[in-house]
Amino acid sequence: MRCKKCGGKAVINMRQHNMGLCKDDFLQWLPEQTQKFIEKYKMFTPDDKILVAVSGGKDSLALWDILQILGYQADGLYIALGIDEGIGYSAESQRLTEKFANERDLNLHIVNLAASYGTDVPTLASQTKRGRDKPCSACGLVKRHEMNRIARDFGYDVLATGHNLDDEAAILFSNTLQWNGDYLLRQAPVLASRDGLARKVKPLFHFYEREMAAYSLLRGIDYIYDECPFAEGSTSTQYKELLNQLENQHPGAKMHFYVKFLTAKKKGLFAEPTTEIVPDLHLCPTCGQPTSAANECSFCKMMAK
Amino acid sequence: MEYTTTIILRDQKYEIKAGMTLLAALGKLDILPESVICVRDGDLITEDTILKPGETIKLVSVISGG
Repeated sequence: MRCKKCGGKAVINMRQHNMGLCKDDFLQWLPEQTQKFIEKYKMFTPDDKILVAVSGGKDSLALWDILQILGYQADGLYIALGIDEGIGYSAESQRLTEKFANERDLNLHIVNLAASYGTDVPTLASQTKRGRDKPCSACGLVKRHEMNRIARDFGYDVLATGHNLDDEAAILFSNTLQWNGDYLLRQAPVLASRDGLARKVKPLFHFYEREMAAYSLLRGIDYIYDECPFAEGSTSTQYKELLNQLENQHPGAKMHFYVKFLTAKKKGLFAEPTTEIVPDLHLCPTCGQPTSAANECSFCKMMAK
Repeated sequence: MEYTTTIILRDQKYEIKAGMTLLAALGKLDILPESVICVRDGDLITEDTILKPGETIKLVSVISGG
């Protein structure tokens, strides 16, 4: 296969765009497209201080790399969740994240759950109803709380995550299967800041997971290949596989599923934009972060158990 | 003389008859092309690549969760 831009040997075939690219053109194309979507969705400007949530995986490290290439002021945040499961998952992902930051002389915040709160995700999950079946729910709550806390405490303008199109399409698929109206209304590449909640953006939302893996490999980014041991066999992984089966038969299917959802939402298909359901927020009396839960926030309730 | 290509995905090794495309080989192994990146001698290759006898292709799984 030949590169659509230069005619050289292609290293990736993106069937949804009917386009193959060589290494050099792909490594130029992906950051350019990222910049295009940052501007189109008004995610942030070069004046903004960005906090990138990094996990040691391909997507978040690639995002941090791209934001550096594009000249943005982006620091990293790694949350040590204490997941071991016999493979030292958290330790290895932290090592790779620190290596990435050190090699590029980047500023990295590290929150260690054990040091800060005397616990870890597996322990929290085993103690709470929220995580009894799967720790992913408790883990998500911890990450959201800590990301917002660090963004607020250190005065960042925006919190960026490495969600790719496959992540977003799998979430959309899940929310659609359950017709979860509140979540459908809130799913977007940009969530505005409000009432103490940091502005959240997903600059990679238009790229397939496969493109992000190719980008990381071609850039020589050393990332953790293993997925989280608790995510193996998860419903989100199953949904990704289902969507990939569809994609294999109909190139572009998962991109259209998500991008046309955004278009439909913008047109008010799900609700008039003016009648969007937004829960009332108040400040948690324990940690001072915004919450819609009665009295204490879910994070503090979980920690108190 | 070897007539097969070795394909590696995680801890699994597969021997596939050389001469077919990588896409056809993935189909025989029931692996979705969307779910992997294909690497030969450190270089990424596309699915129309013809497999040569004796070479090794490494597949990198792209799906991550968590």
